[in-house]
Amino acid sequence: MVKTVLLCCFAVAFLIPGGFGQAPVLGTKSGTITFSSDAPLELIKASSKELRGKFDITKKLFAFTVNINSFTGFNSPLQREHFNENYMESVQYPSASFSGKIIEDIDFTKDGSYTIRAKGNLLIHGVVQERIIKSDLVVKDGKINISSNFTVLLVDHNIPIPKVVHEKLASEIKVEVKADLVL
Amino acid sequence: MSCSITRFFSTLLLLPFVFGAAAQRPGYKYFKLEKDNKTVKINTLFKNHQGYLYAGTDNGLYKFDGEKYINIYFENAEYTDTVTAIFQDRQQKIWVGFKSGRIANIINKKLLYFNPEEGTPKKKITAFLQDRENNIWFSTNGEGIYYMKGNRIFLINDEDGLSDLNISSLALAGNGDVLAGSDQGINICSIKNGKKQITVISPKQGLPDYIVTAVVPAGNNTFWIGLQDKGFCLYDHVTKKITVPPAANNWNLGQVNSLLQAQQVLWIATQHNGLYRFSIAANKLDSLPKENTGATTVSLLEDKQGNIWLTSPLFGLVRTPGEMLKLITIPGSPDFEHVHAILSAKNGDIWINDYNNDLIRLFEKDGIYQAKKIKIPALTVKTDITSLYQDIYENIWVGSMGKGLFIVDPVSYKIRSFKENSLFLNAGILSINGRGNSVFVSSLEGSMLVQLGPGNADIEKPYSFTNYNSSSTGTNYIYNIFKDSRNRIWFATDGNGLTLLQQDNFTYYNNKDQIKDGHIFSITEDKSGHIWFSTSGAGIYKFDGQHFTNYTVADGLSDLNISVLKTDSAGNIIIVHKLGLDILNPATGSISYLNNSQGITKINAEDLGAVTQDSSGRVMVSTVSGILSYSFPENSLQKPIALIESVQLFLQDIDDDRPKIFRHDENNFTFNYTGLYYSDPETVYYQYKLEGLDNNWVITKDRSKNFPNLEPGKYTFRIQSSLNKTFKNADEAVYTFIIKKAFYKQAWFIILCIILAAALLYWYIRIREASLKKIERLRQEKIQFQFEVLRNQVNPHFLFNSFNTSYPPLKMIPKWRLNTWNSYPIFSGIL
Repeated sequence: MVKTVLLCCFAVAFLIPGGFGQAPVLGTKSGTITFSSDAPLELIKASSKELRGKFDITKKLFAFTVNINSFTGFNSPLQREHFNENYMESVQYPSASFSGKIIEDIDFTKDGSYTIRAKGNLLIHGVVQERIIKSDLVVKDGKINISSNFTVLLVDHNIPIPKVVHEKLASEIKVEVKADLVL
Repeated sequence: MSCSITRFFSTLLLLPFVFGAAAQRPGYKYFKLEKDNKTVKINTLFKNHQGYLYAGTDNGLYKFDGEKYINIYFENAEYTDTVTAIFQDRQQKIWVGFKSGRIANIINKKLLYFNPEEGTPKKKITAFLQDRENNIWFSTNGEGIYYMKGNRIFLINDEDGLSDLNISSLALAGNGDVLAGSDQGINICSIKNGKKQITVISPKQGLPDYIVTAVVPAGNNTFWIGLQDKGFCLYDHVTKKITVPPAANNWNLGQVNSLLQAQQVLWIATQHNGLYRFSIAANKLDSLPKENTGATTVSLLEDKQGNIWLTSPLFGLVRTPGEMLKLITIPGSPDFEHVHAILSAKNGDIWINDYNNDLIRLFEKDGIYQAKKIKIPALTVKTDITSLYQDIYENIWVGSMGKGLFIVDPVSYKIRSFKENSLFLNAGILSINGRGNSVFVSSLEGSMLVQLGPGNADIEKPYSFTNYNSSSTGTNYIYNIFKDSRNRIWFATDGNGLTLLQQDNFTYYNNKDQIKDGHIFSITEDKSGHIWFSTSGAGIYKFDGQHFTNYTVADGLSDLNISVLKTDSAGNIIIVHKLGLDILNPATGSISYLNNSQGITKINAEDLGAVTQDSSGRVMVSTVSGILSYSFPENSLQKPIALIESVQLFLQDIDDDRPKIFRHDENNFTFNYTGLYYSDPETVYYQYKLEGLDNNWVITKDRSKNFPNLEPGKYTFRIQSSLNKTFKNADEAVYTFIIKKAFYKQAWFIILCIILAAALLYWYIRIREASLKKIERLRQEKIQFQFEVLRNQVNPHFLFNSFNTSYPPLKMIPKWRLNTWNSYPIFSGIL
């Protein structure tokens, strides 16, 4: 497991961006990732503007990563502390990432709106899960605007929920991603 | 001579005039799907758990009940999509895949798009599968294979080691592996501990071709593989070995589109060369006439009756009889109109007579029947061959009308006449039968038993025989002699019923045993050892050793004019008559039919010798268009399956998941039902009853029944379907529902009302009582008060004071006046 995690981190940090090579690799100009946990007793919502990513439009390869510590907007500072220390263990697993390949065969140099699916590895809390994530893409003047909604099951990523907070933390977390990519 | 014998002869002469024009190929039927006068292309066929056929078309999804197509609409009726794959999982849920890559389920009889979070593919869905863990897999033409685990969808593509993204078909192996046919061989996929494992079988591993078009289970963890250019092969998933049958070597028949294994035959639908059948046991490949199927054949399917269905752009949906019915024809010669006797020999040859009463041996060469003529010099046009028999030494016995008996060596074609028995020298032979080394010959002159000895392999060697005459059998006219499995010998007599020879004793069964017609034509034995025989005019009888059971038209027989009975390999009694074949299941008494609706016409049911059985039990009859051969399809169901298609409340469909409890005013029910029987849907009869309303069955041909204004109560609607009005062993479908009473008619409400009324009455009585008591008390108080007032008023002080003020002092009152007062008691008291 540790090996896989290390490999994935390594891939996200070095290999994939390195592998993009020369020309048509777009990078994030701005990226926001928001998650919300809608549990019966409490709605927890937090977001980070530090979403970074790269997208090779010819090879259709992509990689996105976010620093767990950068999430803000919790209901209380204590909640943020719990999030980082108890659940995400951000010291041990400082970032989350999603990297892989676009399934559809689309020419991203042409302006237009596309719904695409990305098949890749989602790394959260040190656990890699293969996922297909559907996203809406708008290509205009060489810029790509990405918006995507998906869910993450805490159990899939070995994030334990103490029984006492069952009513306060949903087992399925909704994630919303918005990013602008430019050359 | 008896009347039956006369009829037998006269029909022999009339036969050439009875037969008419050639019939359509038996068992084939075509169902083109048209919309707005345009043919709709059918892409895929599917059969659900109940046996209902579904057709996936360019115009969406259709159900097909054997007569008509029923469109299954999207919930949003404006949608339409090209269906490319259909599947039903173990939880009975139907999955429909489209060319657009989208997927839908049927929910409440409507198509509803499946919208997972991950989205659905953009490329054509080609196949579905449910693995051992109940996960649903679906393959695409261009994106690889997806599988659903829990709520998540995962993709297996080239990154995971899939050899190609174009997947044509999926199949599940016994160990849980998924076999996917692709443009680059077979991919064997498995998920172990969440990890995808893929092994590729390609030409490197011995696969004859790269492009795999079909993967279908062949039993014992083996799979038939359809190939684009090299025909087909067999893949063993245990040994990983690939076997190419010799028949598929040097394949030049083009692309295989679809494969189907049914009844020990592999059916092969090709892109340009129509339909082929590969007989697995015989390793033999035969083509079916392209004019019957079209050159391009696409999807294959076997229905519950054993019919093989295919789709072709030319004909749409095509029903073929599969292995059930075959027609053996030989172009040009011989003329089947004159065939009075047929024999299926042990080596597969068929022996018949022709117009000149020459003997014809039909033998198969390279898939085509050829004819060899053997002339029996003594026979002419006028001396018909009436019966043919093959003995244990494979010599052919030929019975003639008027010229006695001949024996033919099938190899050397040597012929000799049976001269041992002078009685038979110029006899009119009626039948030749036998079992083991016994051969029975019946003729107009009497009957004999020929006991074959070891030397009789050579036809020239003498035969030993025993004669039976009327003193023992009851009559000289015997239609048939039958030796049963217990070596008892049965004689079918002309007018004297059935005669049994057992341990040298003769027993006679006739009208004293309630056999209504003593003219017996044919005898057979079922697998339970019961003897069945046909009569000239009273139908057929079963004899179980104790009792005779009669079957007539009322029991479902199509016709009483029965010629021959045979027992097929499945144990059914095959009843041959001029309208077709009735197939009677001895265990249940239910009967199915092969007749004009399967394109069978003009059966020669007049000649008792015109029916035979081959070594595998196939029954062969002579018809005007050729020799029709029938076998019961293995594991098939020869009865209509009763289904309630929909239940409507005030003519609106009731949702499948709705509880079957209705309000008192929801009381108008319509049941739409069907009896699925693809061999002949028009024959199906229904009988229904609504328990709770009427416990009597009502027989109908309608497929819908309305019950208006049902009173509150519990009801059970039962519908049975059958091929005749007997409903023996009929399939049944049931719908139970409850109509609740109006709340004001329910016991709890009435009791509540009574309690309430009683309480009200009690309360009223209590109030009234209290009020009466109060009134009484007030009245008493009033009286008391008045009394007190009056008493006060008559108080002496008060009175005196009053008097003192109102009247003069007493002393001032004249005495007379006082006396007058004294006369008033009140005053007198006071005074």
